Amino acid sequence: MHTSSISTEILVIGGGATGTGVAWDAALRGFRTILVEKRDLTHGTTGRYHGLLHSGGRYVVKDPHSAVECIAENRILRRTHTHCIEDTGGFFVVTPEDEGDYPDRFVAACRETGVPCQEISVAEALRREPMLNPRISRVFEVPDGAADSFLATHATAQAARQAGARILIYHEVVGLLTEGGDGDKRVTGAVVRDTVSGESIHIHADLVINASGAWAGQLAGMAGVGVKIIPGKGVMVATNHRLVNSVINRCKMPSDGDILVPVHTVSIIGTTDEEVTDPENLVITAEEVQYMLAEGDKLVPGLSAARIVRAWAGVRPLYQEGFSGDSRDATRSLTLLDHKARDGVQGFLTITGGKWTTFRMMAEKTVDRACEHLGVERTCTTATTPVPGIEQGHYWLGHRLHEVEEEQLQGGLVCECELVTRQMVESAARRNPTVTLDDLRRDVRLGMGPCQGGFCTYRAVGILHEIGRERHDPDFVLEGESDAEDWEVAYLQSPAESSRGHSITEHATPDAIPDTPLPTRSPAIDQRSPVSNPNLLLRDFLQERWKGVLPVLWGRQLKQERLDELIYLSLMNADHLPDDEAQSPLTGFYRAS
Amino acid sequence: MNDLIVIGSGLAGLTAAYSAVKAGLSVKIIAKGMGITHWHAGTIDVLGYAAKGKGVARPLEASGDLPDEHPYQLLDEKGLATALTEFAALTAEMGLPYTGAQTAGDNLWLPSPVGAARPAFLAPAGQAGGDLSTGQPLLIVGIEGMRDFYPKLIAENLAKQGHSARHAFLPLSLFTQRHDITTLQLAKLVEEPARLSPLADALIRIVQPGERIGLPAVLGFENHPAVLARLTEATHAPVFEIPTLPPSVPGIRLHTRLRRRLEAMGVRVEIGMEAISFGAEGERILWVETETSSRPLRHRAANFLLATGGILGGGIHSDHTGRAWEVVFDLPLTIPQERSGWFRPHFLDGGGQPVFRGGVPVNANFQPIRPEGGPVYANLWAAGGGLSGADSIRERSVEGIALSTGGAVASLLASNPVK
Repeated sequence: MHTSSISTEILVIGGGATGTGVAWDAALRGFRTILVEKRDLTHGTTGRYHGLLHSGGRYVVKDPHSAVECIAENRILRRTHTHCIEDTGGFFVVTPEDEGDYPDRFVAACRETGVPCQEISVAEALRREPMLNPRISRVFEVPDGAADSFLATHATAQAARQAGARILIYHEVVGLLTEGGDGDKRVTGAVVRDTVSGESIHIHADLVINASGAWAGQLAGMAGVGVKIIPGKGVMVATNHRLVNSVINRCKMPSDGDILVPVHTVSIIGTTDEEVTDPENLVITAEEVQYMLAEGDKLVPGLSAARIVRAWAGVRPLYQEGFSGDSRDATRSLTLLDHKARDGVQGFLTITGGKWTTFRMMAEKTVDRACEHLGVERTCTTATTPVPGIEQGHYWLGHRLHEVEEEQLQGGLVCECELVTRQMVESAARRNPTVTLDDLRRDVRLGMGPCQGGFCTYRAVGILHEIGRERHDPDFVLEGESDAEDWEVAYLQSPAESSRGHSITEHATPDAIPDTPLPTRSPAIDQRSPVSNPNLLLRDFLQERWKGVLPVLWGRQLKQERLDELIYLSLMNADHLPDDEAQSPLTGFYRAS
Repeated sequence: MNDLIVIGSGLAGLTAAYSAVKAGLSVKIIAKGMGITHWHAGTIDVLGYAAKGKGVARPLEASGDLPDEHPYQLLDEKGLATALTEFAALTAEMGLPYTGAQTAGDNLWLPSPVGAARPAFLAPAGQAGGDLSTGQPLLIVGIEGMRDFYPKLIAENLAKQGHSARHAFLPLSLFTQRHDITTLQLAKLVEEPARLSPLADALIRIVQPGERIGLPAVLGFENHPAVLARLTEATHAPVFEIPTLPPSVPGIRLHTRLRRRLEAMGVRVEIGMEAISFGAEGERILWVETETSSRPLRHRAANFLLATGGILGGGIHSDHTGRAWEVVFDLPLTIPQERSGWFRPHFLDGGGQPVFRGGVPVNANFQPIRPEGGPVYANLWAAGGGLSGADSIRERSVEGIALSTGGAVASLLASNPVK
């Protein structure tokens, strides 16, 4: 296979919130920066969390240092990532099971840490959240919010690109480049494999930053450095609609199943915390789901009878030097490991721990240290630099419906559950490096509603296939990665903007080959790319959706799944398509079970 | 009092009622909804894939490939063939003729909405024209802006399988000035002569000699046969339909005609009546109670046929504790009462998902039975998708099981009426 070689000042490994935050910060400070991510942006823990923008309230008693970080960042992100956040507000409620003096300690700790907290009457809380357990005794209001971590990461990545960074997704680090030996070792870059084309790239860097989250230990191991991540698995369960419009927390020591977060069209109940050995192939048991539902019933009675659309798990990349104990008790604070000071290995930093809410601060501290290593003094500006798209204001439930109705876009809906239009799918595929349908799901929420892809999977495959560029298209040029302007995600989630910004493909004449001046940069619509095979896109997405519904199939959702079988097996015969045996480069991700 | 009350208005319920009435019984149908006919292709799938996904060429001769507990194994030797012959005759009488493959007894292999070859035993004439057993080149024609049909994808996959296929799009403006349209709206529009002529003209311009034309299954409701004939005549090319995402226009055509036929024979088909409870005395069911918007009603009959379907049809429900139950009579089921045993890790696993193989176990007379053997009630029968022993969607036998088991119950009742 062809191997190329490039060099940069800073190489960031990991395309989650932290890694993209680091790339953004580094690029803004003028460093030549490359970020590599082995799958899609947010494929790891960032894309698998409950979406809570912490006020800090959850940690005021147990981990006050984290609480202080949270409230500071909460205020900043509302300005820099406005459209990625819904200003839901949050309640801490005392249920009949929550005994003791915790509520009073909570109030005192809020005061000490500076987390705004106001007690409101139970009647007022029930007026605002009628589904809430009426037997609660006290309610405290805090400035929690709900975050769209997919959109926020994409927006941060775009901001990084605008500042000059290169973002390479589906590029997996297969080895680190090092020089010197014991006591005088230096990391000088990484060998990266393009998982779509199979090509290898040597990326030489003055400094390598390991922001690979739950995989940080494995990565550090490539440099011979021991970093013991405490991988805390968290299980989350989503209901088919919103049960509450505010974040609801139990007012007690953080535990399993004690947060209910309204995110977009669903409510997410979270979460468990169990130490696991492998950050991939996470198993979700019936007991875990059962337990979460039972705990959820204490916040919203009847929650366990609601229709559950999906369950998933993420892994917290917790780190505590010399820690041994339950992962629930490991600190949520960020950890920046300077391997020069810690291990005598130069040119290498690891940033881990923390929470989504504190990703910007983690990036700031990391790049501060990077400046020291590179011998320059440059000030961080991310706290005052908004990412593209904030002019849309905070997200609010109903914004898509509003736009679809205002602009009469009903005819373009390919996903009725989440109100995704054909134009949104086309726009995301053309102006964003989509590789699989699961990437489109993260981009525009395709297939995330009650039918879990039953209708939109076929439609999205058909559309991507229709807009795919033919091999013989003379205008076809594979774009380089240097031009930052064409990657446009600020309005990824807006039906109206997608419809205004890009005309739909015209099929005026038979056999028309769609032609568009927009660069084709999505492997999913580049017919030279093996991943654009529509049959593999279809099969991989069906399996991906199946994986997430498997732990929650009963009642109506089981019936829904049977309808999906009727459609994809009996009506379409999708299990007997040509290329049935073919492997996409990504099949392994979904075949692993 | 009726001789028979059929609960459920899917294909099993409607055709069982038809056979029973023809045999002289008085029948009433009560149903919550209209069954899964509205979602499927409108074809009669008898058996496409046997154990481990093995393709079946001649479904009537494949019983050796089926497990002992399969509903087909309960039928008389000719039971399946007879049911299919009678159904074909009925559809011809109703003006919606269904046909089989050119070689009698073979499966048809019809283009699916993704361009795979889907096995069906009988199909409405309009779909049978797409049979891939013949080598005639295919022109797959889509309509711009239609969400539920992707001709380029179909043609490309057909070509990959060695068929000569290409695709084309027609503008939506041929039919309407609107920007959005559903399959059902299109099917109504196409029936108007003023829309049909421009469609025919557009097809004439793009079809090449020797091709057959595949269109989405929207070629009319009531006048479907006439629409099909008109297009075939105008284009001098065979025109056929490919099913779309649900709702299914061919399924609705079939359901509507069957229901109308039954009503013409004096059968009351009460849809919107959900059976919520029943009364029994000893071994006999006396009545079934239904819920309507006004008040509960009790329906008495000598015999009851349960044709409420399986998990998809609504005859079997389940909850998060892993309990699954039959919704009208709470009959014993063969579904594992533990969720951990319901599924396999892969959606497309050739063996299917175990939960969908379970259902209501019956004896050779199609009477629901207790785990230890004997019938649960002397005058209760079961047919269709709710039966145990087959994953009908996985093996492509949805309609074959419905027709043959419903037919078997009707003939049992006709030859040996319990009054």
